[in-house]
Amino acid sequence: MTIGADVGIFAVSVLAGLIGALAGVGGGILVIPALTILFGVDIRLAIGASIVSVIATSSGAAAAYVRDRMTDMRIGMFLELATTSGAVAGALLAAAVAPALLYVLLGVVLLFSAVQQVLRLGEELPADTQVSPIARRFRLMGSYPDAQLGAEVPYAAQRVPLGFVMMAGAGLVSGLLGIGSGALKVLAMDGAMRLPMKVSSATSNFMIGVTAAASAGIYLGRGDVDPTIAVPVALGVLAGATIGARILPRLSNRTVRLVFLPVLVAVGVETLLRGLGVGL
Amino acid sequence: MTPERFRILVSGILIVGVSVSASLMLLGFATSFLVGWEGSLTGAPPGTSDLTDFATMRESLLALRPVGIAQLGLLVLIATPVVRVAASVVAFLLEGDRLYAGITFAVLLILLLSLFGLR
Repeated sequence: MTIGADVGIFAVSVLAGLIGALAGVGGGILVIPALTILFGVDIRLAIGASIVSVIATSSGAAAAYVRDRMTDMRIGMFLELATTSGAVAGALLAAAVAPALLYVLLGVVLLFSAVQQVLRLGEELPADTQVSPIARRFRLMGSYPDAQLGAEVPYAAQRVPLGFVMMAGAGLVSGLLGIGSGALKVLAMDGAMRLPMKVSSATSNFMIGVTAAASAGIYLGRGDVDPTIAVPVALGVLAGATIGARILPRLSNRTVRLVFLPVLVAVGVETLLRGLGVGL
Repeated sequence: MTPERFRILVSGILIVGVSVSASLMLLGFATSFLVGWEGSLTGAPPGTSDLTDFATMRESLLALRPVGIAQLGLLVLIATPVVRVAASVVAFLLEGDRLYAGITFAVLLILLLSLFGLR
C-alpha cells in the first residue's frame, strides 16, 4: 500500500465507523466495496478486514453507549444467546446450503423491511410499552436518557418470541453468508420487539462485536487478515465509531432511522445482486 | 455490584481493550514507514513470513517487527468482546442475577466453542 492509499482507506473507514455506530451495523457494506473497487484489494482480504472493522465499530462505540445507558445489556445478552447459536448452526450448515438462493431471500427480506422503515419514519417512539410476562421474567425492559427529548424514556420488549427467532435467523445468516447481521439485528429489535430506535441501534452495536469475534478466529487462521490493510481500516473505524457514539444520544430517533434506512437499502440491493450473480 | 458499577466495568473493559489495541496498531503502522512491515526495530534480519500468518507473531514481536506489533494489536481488538462477555458473567453474579449470569455464561461457551471448536 502507498501512503496515499493508506490515507484513502483510513478516510473511508472513519466514515464507515461513524455510520456503523449510528445505524447499529458493522460498516462492512462500505468497507468491502471501497477496498475492492477503489483500492484493488483482494475480496478475501477485504472480507477479513471487514470482520475486524465490525469488532472495531462495536467496541469503539459500545464503551460510550454502555456508559450513557443507550445499550440494554440484558436484552443484548438474552438475544446474543439466539445469534451465537444461530451463527454456530450457520457455520456448520454452510457447506450444505446453496448460497445463491439464500442471498436472494435475504435481499428480498431486507428490501421489504426498508419499505416498513419508510412507513415508520413519522414515529419518534413506539407507542407500545406494555410489559408481557416473558419480558418481565427476563427483565427485557428499562429506560434510557434521551438527550434530544430531554427525558427518561421507558420501554419494554414486545413480541419477544418473534424477536428471538429473528435474532437466531440473523445469527444463522451471518454464520452462512457473513453479512447483513447488524441490519437484521436492528430490524428484530426495532421492528419485532418495538424498542426505541436508539436503543435498538446501540444494543445491536453492542452485539455485533460478539458475533464477529466468534468468526474472526476462523478468518485469522485462514490467513484472511492482512495487517497492512486491516490496521488502517481498524484505526479509521475506531475513530469514526468514537465520534458516532458521541453524536447518537443527541439525535432524534427519527434521524437515526434516516441514517439506518439507506444502509438497509444498500445491504438489501447488494445482497440481492450477489444472489443473482452480479457480485460487487 | 450496582448496575452503575456494572456499566462502568463493562465500559472500562472496552475502553482499555480499544486503547491498548489502537496504540499497538498505531505503533506498528507508524514504524512500518521506518523499517518496512517485515523490518526489525532491534536490527535483527528482516522477516520473510507471510504478513497474514499470525503463527509467527511471537517471533516477529521478539524482533520488534512492525508486522508483529500490528498483529498483536489486532488480536487484542478481537479478544476485547470475548473478555467483555466473560467479565459480564462475573458482574451478573455479583449483582445477584443468576438468570443472566447463566445466560451470559452460555453465550461465552458458544463463543469459545466457535472460536476453538469449529475448525
